[in-house]
Amino acid sequence: MVSVGVIANPASGRDIRRLVTGASVFDNAEKGSMVFRLLTGLGAVGVEKVWMMPAGEGLSGSLTRRLRGDTARRGMHLPALEFLDMRMHGDARDSTHAAGELIDRGVGAIVVLGGDGTNRVVSRACGDIPLCALSTGTNNAFPHLREATVAGIATGLVATGRVVGAPMIRRHKRFDVRVGDHADTALVDVVASADRFVGARALWRVEDLGDAFVTFANPAAVGMTAVAGHVHPVGRDDDHGLYLRLGPPSAAETVVTVAIAPGMVTSVGVSGVRRIAFGETVPMASADGCLALDGEREIERRDTDDVTVTLVPGPLTIEVDAVMSHVAANRMLRGTTVNHEGGK
Amino acid sequence: MATQFTPSDEAGKDQLVEWYRTMRTIREFEERLHTEFATGDIPGFVHLYAGEEAVATGVMAHLDADDYIASTHRGHGHAIAKGCDVKGMMAEIYGKRAGICHGKGGSMHIADLDVGMLGANGIVGGGPPLVCGVGLSATVRGTRQVGVSFTGDGGSNQGTTLESLNLAAAMHLPVVFVIENNGYAEATSTNFSTSGIDIAKRADGFGMPGVVVDGHDFFAVYEVAGEAIARARDGGGPSLLEMKVNRYFGHFEGDQQTYRAPNEVEEIRSTKDCLMLYRRGVTAAGLVADGDLDAVDTEVRALIDEAVTEAKAAPEPQPDDLLTDVYVSY
Repeated sequence: MVSVGVIANPASGRDIRRLVTGASVFDNAEKGSMVFRLLTGLGAVGVEKVWMMPAGEGLSGSLTRRLRGDTARRGMHLPALEFLDMRMHGDARDSTHAAGELIDRGVGAIVVLGGDGTNRVVSRACGDIPLCALSTGTNNAFPHLREATVAGIATGLVATGRVVGAPMIRRHKRFDVRVGDHADTALVDVVASADRFVGARALWRVEDLGDAFVTFANPAAVGMTAVAGHVHPVGRDDDHGLYLRLGPPSAAETVVTVAIAPGMVTSVGVSGVRRIAFGETVPMASADGCLALDGEREIERRDTDDVTVTLVPGPLTIEVDAVMSHVAANRMLRGTTVNHEGGK
Repeated sequence: MATQFTPSDEAGKDQLVEWYRTMRTIREFEERLHTEFATGDIPGFVHLYAGEEAVATGVMAHLDADDYIASTHRGHGHAIAKGCDVKGMMAEIYGKRAGICHGKGGSMHIADLDVGMLGANGIVGGGPPLVCGVGLSATVRGTRQVGVSFTGDGGSNQGTTLESLNLAAAMHLPVVFVIENNGYAEATSTNFSTSGIDIAKRADGFGMPGVVVDGHDFFAVYEVAGEAIARARDGGGPSLLEMKVNRYFGHFEGDQQTYRAPNEVEEIRSTKDCLMLYRRGVTAAGLVADGDLDAVDTEVRALIDEAVTEAKAAPEPQPDDLLTDVYVSY
């Protein structure tokens, strides 16, 4: 039986950025609707079963109401939906545990609804099961904002084995981060902050920032990857990442004006940029403060801690645009009729 | 609102120790009351705040003496963090004339307007309308005062709270609504009784920011409350902060808590305790030594001992006292 996993983080999109920037509020009811639309895409191309992390009343209530109402009315055939039987902690442990459960159930792909942080956690635990990363907010660099129905079709075609290989399935880059004995990862960026405590986690005060590492650099994005993108663009497929030394604009070699967060355009000083090759381990300048991984302060460190950052191969991701181009070029969805009774 | 402290910054270190002292004072006050209430010497109901200390302390760190708060039935922590006299509070809870309200209020009506404490409140959802009044007054008089209300997850479902969210947003009042979501409205699980995962999301419907905060982490509370209060003070309008937190004792003293899982509190105490996390954080950062915090523990224990001894020995109110502190002179 072809199955797909879904991890929808019900807690994403409620942090301090609602106060200090114009970051969007992503409603859990809309996340539930997104999962419903995802199911229609998955079901249309033959996925029979979807395993999903429990998501609480706001999200799963919206989803189950949709399933009861729309499915009956339209006579749709959707994949059988089953929630994982797991104890919820309301933190990152949930996504980690859910990814392990999904691997055990042999899913062909995992769809993640969340931000950079959720994807970071899932990617650490999902091995080589391809991820389809759907953004549930405006503040993300790794996942894409796109229609879940189409993402469901693309993910279903990968899970059923009808679409294989690059560029439809891509190996993303990742940083392995070591702070003393502690090991962690980042998909988009690692940034040193002078904040002494993890506190409210989000990172938006550019005056506090020091060393920064990015796996890709996109001037059209928001946040650190955009800062790097204005200095030296790096594609998601390029075989290198980038290191930047940040500082106050007044003392910097280069000053870039960038959207550091939704609703917040600011100037950032950059003094020193260089490429980081795959496998290269770069020591970070010692300092007291925090390390932010993918935009959130995660680790409190002392100036006595040895910190290293290494660029390594990361998770496999489903590239929806590439899948759909491949599908069109090979006429995979031409000459067929969606069968609401039978699934495909 | 940067949380940067350097070891050479003595002011920063002193401040860190004082925040610890506030949290430790609340904890010691509540744990002692838990013991003393069982003796039967304390009249009335007592609802204890232990476990939620980081919320009161992190929020009040940003308030001045002329800012006002409106509290809940679980109000001891808010009162201590806002600056109410600890001995006066203990005497009040014992119903003594030396109490902060002359023994007439008890645990659920502790108030001290001189320090901006409008009162603990036996009415669930009673605080939000009061701070709308604070906000309106500050706006009309052109001051930069801020009102902060505390409400529980149960109180968040009260009409008074929802009406206040509307009023504050419609009138752009300098108010912060703090919802202390400790998972239970009396004996009813929030998951059962409250629609939606995050109470903070209700703010969206009123057009104000809503933020979810880990209420066990002082620095998370401090940072978010700092932004919200500064925003209100600067004319940015109201906001809602939902603190995800846990209480260590029952809804009231004497509550058997049969609705809680076995070992639930023990697990929280060993993994998320706000005092433990705070001590670990500031000592690992090299900002404060364990010995400094141990000294605070000793001092606070002595203070609470004295408060209980003095409260027990203090004189009872007399019948004539019924005719004072009332609106009409007799």
